Amino acid sequence: MALHVPKAAGFASMLKEGSRHFSGLEEAVNRNINACKEFAESLRSAYGPCGMNKMIINHIEKLFVTNDAGTIMHELDVEHPAAKIMVLASQMQEQEVGDGTNFVILFAAALLEGADDLLKMGLTPSQISDGFEIALEKAMAILPSLSLGEIKDFRDEKQVYNAIRTSVMSKQLGNEDLIAKLVTKACVAVIPDKQTTFNVDNIRVCKILGSSIHASEVMQGLVFKRNVETAIIKKSNAKIAVFTCPLDITQTETKGTVLIKTAKELMNFSQGEEAMLENQIKAIADSGASVVITGGKIGDMALHFLNKYNLMAIRLLSKFDLRRVCKSVNATASPKVEKPIPEDLGYADEVYVDELGDTSIVVIKVGTTESKIATIVLRGATDNYLDDIERAINDGVNTYKGITKDGKLLPGAGATEIELARQIESYGETLPGLEQYSVKKFASALESFIKIFADNSGKKSNEVLARIIAAHHAGQKNIGFDISDDSKDSLIDVEAAGIVDLYNGKEWAIQYATKAAVTILIVDQIIMAKRAGGPAPRPAKGGDQDDD
Amino acid sequence: MSAISMLNPKAEFARAAQALSINISAARGIAEVMKSNLGPKGTMKMLVSGAGDIKLTKDGNILLHEMQIQHPTASLIAKASTAHDDVVGDGTTSIVLLIGEIMKQADAIISEGVHPRIIVDGLNIAKESALEVLEGLKLDLLMGRTVFVDVAQTALRTKIHPKLADHLAELCADAVLSVVEEDGKTADLHMIEMMEMQHRNEYDTCLVKGLVMDHGGRHPDMPKSLKNCFILTCNVSLEYEKTEVNSGFFYKTAEEREKLLSSEREFIDQRVKKIVELKNQVCPKDSDKSFVVINQKGIDPISLDILAKNGILALRRAKRRNMERLSLACGGMAMNSFDDMTADCLGYAGLVYEHVLGEDKYTFVEECKNPKSVTLLLKGPMKHGIVQMKDAIRDAIRSVYNAMQDGCAIPGAGAFEMLVSKKLTMQASQIKNRSVLGVNLFAQAILVIPKTLVMNAGHDPQEAILSCMSSDNSDGSGDFYVGEPLQARGVDLNTGKWIESGWAGIYDIYAAKRQMIDASIVVATNLLLTDEIMRAGLSSLK
Repeated sequence: MALHVPKAAGFASMLKEGSRHFSGLEEAVNRNINACKEFAESLRSAYGPCGMNKMIINHIEKLFVTNDAGTIMHELDVEHPAAKIMVLASQMQEQEVGDGTNFVILFAAALLEGADDLLKMGLTPSQISDGFEIALEKAMAILPSLSLGEIKDFRDEKQVYNAIRTSVMSKQLGNEDLIAKLVTKACVAVIPDKQTTFNVDNIRVCKILGSSIHASEVMQGLVFKRNVETAIIKKSNAKIAVFTCPLDITQTETKGTVLIKTAKELMNFSQGEEAMLENQIKAIADSGASVVITGGKIGDMALHFLNKYNLMAIRLLSKFDLRRVCKSVNATASPKVEKPIPEDLGYADEVYVDELGDTSIVVIKVGTTESKIATIVLRGATDNYLDDIERAINDGVNTYKGITKDGKLLPGAGATEIELARQIESYGETLPGLEQYSVKKFASALESFIKIFADNSGKKSNEVLARIIAAHHAGQKNIGFDISDDSKDSLIDVEAAGIVDLYNGKEWAIQYATKAAVTILIVDQIIMAKRAGGPAPRPAKGGDQDDD
Repeated sequence: MSAISMLNPKAEFARAAQALSINISAARGIAEVMKSNLGPKGTMKMLVSGAGDIKLTKDGNILLHEMQIQHPTASLIAKASTAHDDVVGDGTTSIVLLIGEIMKQADAIISEGVHPRIIVDGLNIAKESALEVLEGLKLDLLMGRTVFVDVAQTALRTKIHPKLADHLAELCADAVLSVVEEDGKTADLHMIEMMEMQHRNEYDTCLVKGLVMDHGGRHPDMPKSLKNCFILTCNVSLEYEKTEVNSGFFYKTAEEREKLLSSEREFIDQRVKKIVELKNQVCPKDSDKSFVVINQKGIDPISLDILAKNGILALRRAKRRNMERLSLACGGMAMNSFDDMTADCLGYAGLVYEHVLGEDKYTFVEECKNPKSVTLLLKGPMKHGIVQMKDAIRDAIRSVYNAMQDGCAIPGAGAFEMLVSKKLTMQASQIKNRSVLGVNLFAQAILVIPKTLVMNAGHDPQEAILSCMSSDNSDGSGDFYVGEPLQARGVDLNTGKWIESGWAGIYDIYAAKRQMIDASIVVATNLLLTDEIMRAGLSSLK
């Protein structure tokens, strides 16, 4: 770094060339708030069941059609530092709960919008953020009292169905019943009786082009978009041996050289090698196994013997897939080719190759109850459509996971938000200091969700909001917004309609959003280094890992 | 025209008054930037790196490091104060502010024709007296946990949310107390590991009396949670390693190759067998004891398989610094070979378990008997939040450690600075020569710290400082008298009125204040006495 004798005065001359520096209320705080508002504006129309889809082409020219905020943010590559803080908060929500990402963004932006008004009134950012924190504390205290009860038995399909349906509905309106049923069935099936923890990874999604979504089904076991290596394509009551190594002539780690002096020795060598491989494969067949699954290559010669001993062989490219197979069929993978001991063998009712459309798939179907992994085979017309449904399924599965952790439910369709807003508003009245302004803004930020719902479904938002607030003041705290046209006043009793949200999801979402808003507010200076050139964007990655 | 431009026409230079004004404007400029960060009520700065990563901070040290300063004077100040941070861990912002203020005050006097040398003389007198005041203010406290918590709290509150600071202060104090040596003074702070986990809430941050490693068992069948564990820490390769010299096998038949293969394998298998034997020896069947291997080198899949079959949890490629910590936390020795391995070499932990977070695995080694190495597990929803917390904790731990070493603390909240100012003003009336200017200058300049603190909290600085300084600590005879250190008054930033900082539990670090006075005066004198800045090295090599 070469220092220069400076000529100009001022702070800017002290920084490296190309750095930018913003400070103070106008330059930093207002700028940040505006950026966040604009960013949220574009996600606003995607919120809720009537949200519109967005078409996104990301930096590697891949096309997405979705209304899932998580995906939109991920692919947009947000650069503005303040907007990025909101995105980070939302991504954390994605990791912690798996749903409610858009809520975080919209709520944080609504809070900032409220803060903007207060700043114009002359409050300082730290007073506003203090008020938001007071309101957050109050909200966390109120939230448990709004609960609609708890799902105690998460193996009961009926109970969990409603929660999953609400979550799926916001992504796939129209198909929610179908998808929710698939998800519920798959989730409940894989949770063993004694176990209480649920791993999202145990629900696989296999997307196959063609047919329609109504042809989708849940399969106990695993489905891979592959073909088998051997000639045998179907085995019933299969015992499965799993190897993590290649199925071929074994090599030494140290470089080996075959030292051959005569033609006879050459003949003997090949014969010996064949015999040995044959022995190994015969041993596998003798152990009772009828299907071999391997993570490595299968050599030509090995293939020959596999066919000879009537074994079916499948090669999986991903070691995670291999582990899933082990888990599903209850096998232990062996790191070297040897005769498997009976305990290491897994069992599946059927292993077969099937063709759906023009894709051949390998199905490992495990008995009805024992499987620890279930696969949802999705059918649909286009890749984008399938991807979008998969995202809806992921949300549903994550909701189920939330239920297994904490089964408490909250009223959905905006009822929780309005009730919270109502109580926080009246709490704000009781505060003596300047905090009451920001507490009230917190309440009105919560009300904005009904407006978004209504705007997106083409109704008059102000009228609807007024009616719902009136209902809540009358003590009907489970009244939410009805997106359908069935009711004239657009009100719906969510408890009766079974529209429920997860307590956990809402709790975290409100916390993360408030935290993000507060963080953005208390920054008074931004110092940006010159944007690094960096390498060109990475070339397209080879498809989804699940596909191989 | 400077002579230098004759010799090197490309030289850049600034002379005399111009050089001084560059120095002064830089010192003031950088102080202006850092000003809003000082104290518990200061605001944050957002730093955006070239790659677009966000960092939120109000820690002066971090700011100076990340701001990429190019100005020579500013970078001199930055270097001085970050060096200070390396030694005492806290107080960076104060130094920058103090230097800036001295330069600002000096500017006014110099413009009236006073030679910088006279100011420098006065500053040196001021330094001596300030250090005297510091000695008189030492709080003789019982250096126990409560004091350390207060010290940590004072340090943390200037960096993070006060509620979070209170939570972390206890953790920091406990962490330092766990790693301190028997003499109660020295400690290796590196033995406090900080592990980040992007998860849940900042308030879930906790102190693990043991170790947390950011990787897990490498075999799906290994146990995920073990109790009463013997821990073998080793640095022995459990995978095939190439020979140093070029080597190869020659074989004629497949059987021969198979034999070579198995003998090649046996070498490793022997080692694994030794571990298994030891396990069977110390953990008899159907006892509730279990066995964990933590290896710095690799373990290949086949060895992992054998270990998994025997119910041993094995971790491979542990970090080297963790090996040292492991033997401190759990006892036992780190083994470099299995040849003379006995049960004595094993460590012990009550609980070892694996925690999976998305795609990251963490292994917790907990419930150790007498851990001399602990881990602060930092949790938080956002990366920048965790980083901020980490920097704050680093400073707090340093503060606690320094307080421990000094065996004393200083009343905080600006009490020290105000007393220094008061003493210097009194002293100035006794000085008969021109250096009185420098003394008076410093007396005014040092007030910048309490002033800024109050200003950032939104109160009126003059009023607050007056309310503190008017308290009568002198007997009126003109001799300076400190009084009981505990009664020294600082500013209460919540009300803008005075409090007795010592009683309120607001402690500053003796070493930090001492360094602050020293460093700021040294740097300020250097800058004041500079009369020429030039850049006349090799002209660009292009």
